[in-house]
Amino acid sequence: MAWPRAWQGAAANTPPERPHNARMANTHDGDLMALIERVAARDQVALKVLYDLTSGKLYGLALRVVRSHEAAEDALQDTFLQIWRTAPDYRATLSPPMAWLGLIVRSRSLDLLRRRKVEREHLTDEIDDAMSDTLEGDSANPMDTSLASQQACALHQCLSQLENKQREVVSLAYLRDLSHGELAQQLQLPLGTVKTWIRRGLDQLRACMARFA
Amino acid sequence: MNLHQHPELLDRLAAAHALGTLRGGARRRFEALAREEPVVRAAALVWQGRVGAMNELQTPQAPAEAVWTRIDNLVQADQDSRAMARARSAPPTHTPAQSPVGGWWRNLALWRGATAAGALATVLAVVTAVGLRDQLGAEIGALQAQLATVPTVEYVAVLNDDSASPSMLVTFDPNNRKLTLQRVGNFQEGADKSLQLWALPPTGAPRSLGVLSQERLLKLAAAVGDVREVPLLAISLEPKGGVPSASGPTGPVLFKGVLIQKML
Repeated sequence: MAWPRAWQGAAANTPPERPHNARMANTHDGDLMALIERVAARDQVALKVLYDLTSGKLYGLALRVVRSHEAAEDALQDTFLQIWRTAPDYRATLSPPMAWLGLIVRSRSLDLLRRRKVEREHLTDEIDDAMSDTLEGDSANPMDTSLASQQACALHQCLSQLENKQREVVSLAYLRDLSHGELAQQLQLPLGTVKTWIRRGLDQLRACMARFA
Repeated sequence: MNLHQHPELLDRLAAAHALGTLRGGARRRFEALAREEPVVRAAALVWQGRVGAMNELQTPQAPAEAVWTRIDNLVQADQDSRAMARARSAPPTHTPAQSPVGGWWRNLALWRGATAAGALATVLAVVTAVGLRDQLGAEIGALQAQLATVPTVEYVAVLNDDSASPSMLVTFDPNNRKLTLQRVGNFQEGADKSLQLWALPPTGAPRSLGVLSQERLLKLAAAVGDVREVPLLAISLEPKGGVPSASGPTGPVLFKGVLIQKML
């Protein structure tokens, strides 16, 4: 196997280099695309390398959606089985690799949430507690751009300009597929407040993203 | 309203649609417009890409090491079943009995699978021995004898509960197109509930394979296509009589396990 040794387990331990510009992001995308192509050819070693590179990032996303380690691990498992089965379809999606992987994780995570709806009340809300700190306080922007595509770097810049609370409600609305009402309930905020934050957040986001178009 | 003349409104609707906060009738109207109008569809797709990039910005966390082990096991099982399917569909130039030098004979994946099947046979024997202790000894004994002598059981799965205790033994006999389910744990659903068996295909929604009665040993009819290439089986707790397949499981998943094609 000709895979660079440095890749093995690199993602889990030390964060990979952050793409400071488009060219670096593209190089990383190229590596990931090559791996997905090899997975499409049923190469189990390529799947392992892809896992080592991306599982940390994808698990972070799953955790954000489902809020329990057990469910997030199930979502990650479902994700990699789906990658194994559907890697041949990747090329036709025309997506950057992390965008494709991210969509699979979110969709498998939301599936799990729906399947476990009955059990949901038993899940702890430890991670939500951490999040409500973000909503109230002025903590640093917790977003992470490692492995991110150009599109994601642009979104990152624009989200960074939002107030923390606006960024959080906008992020959670998408990541957990929540309506205004569900957000208000989960975050224990008045419905009107949630609506206002989302509307202002989205307006700012639209103005900012227009500059990248 | 003609959204072409209102680019600001179109942009706002497309962004809210991608975020998921456009709901109900407004969402349906927007989606209907997007199907008809390329300009609206383009705006929707642009915003789906932009908002979807949120997936890439979450803080990495290290998953438990066991997750990769589970993935690797399932991928290996998948490879093995494909190797077996290839070996089966290859033109029979000679019978296996007289050709221990044939290509499939040397297939490493196949032998790995055979080893796994051997391990499963052990589990099966143990599980069946447990079953012998209860009132159904005779029938299970007959089943065991059948398993030992006639190679009609092509797929086996041991479904575990959350604490990894075996709770259900599932075998599939393609000749008679029957799934046999044997309860091996102490779980008993309430009188107003039913257990329902699901195939979890690699892509797409779970498919119902049937609703279980309360007996400890029961059979369900199933087509070969229902079972082939299905990596996982699961049993959920549903309202009495189960739910339609299309709705997917509505209750908690109590037991699940890998379905493995037996190769001996």
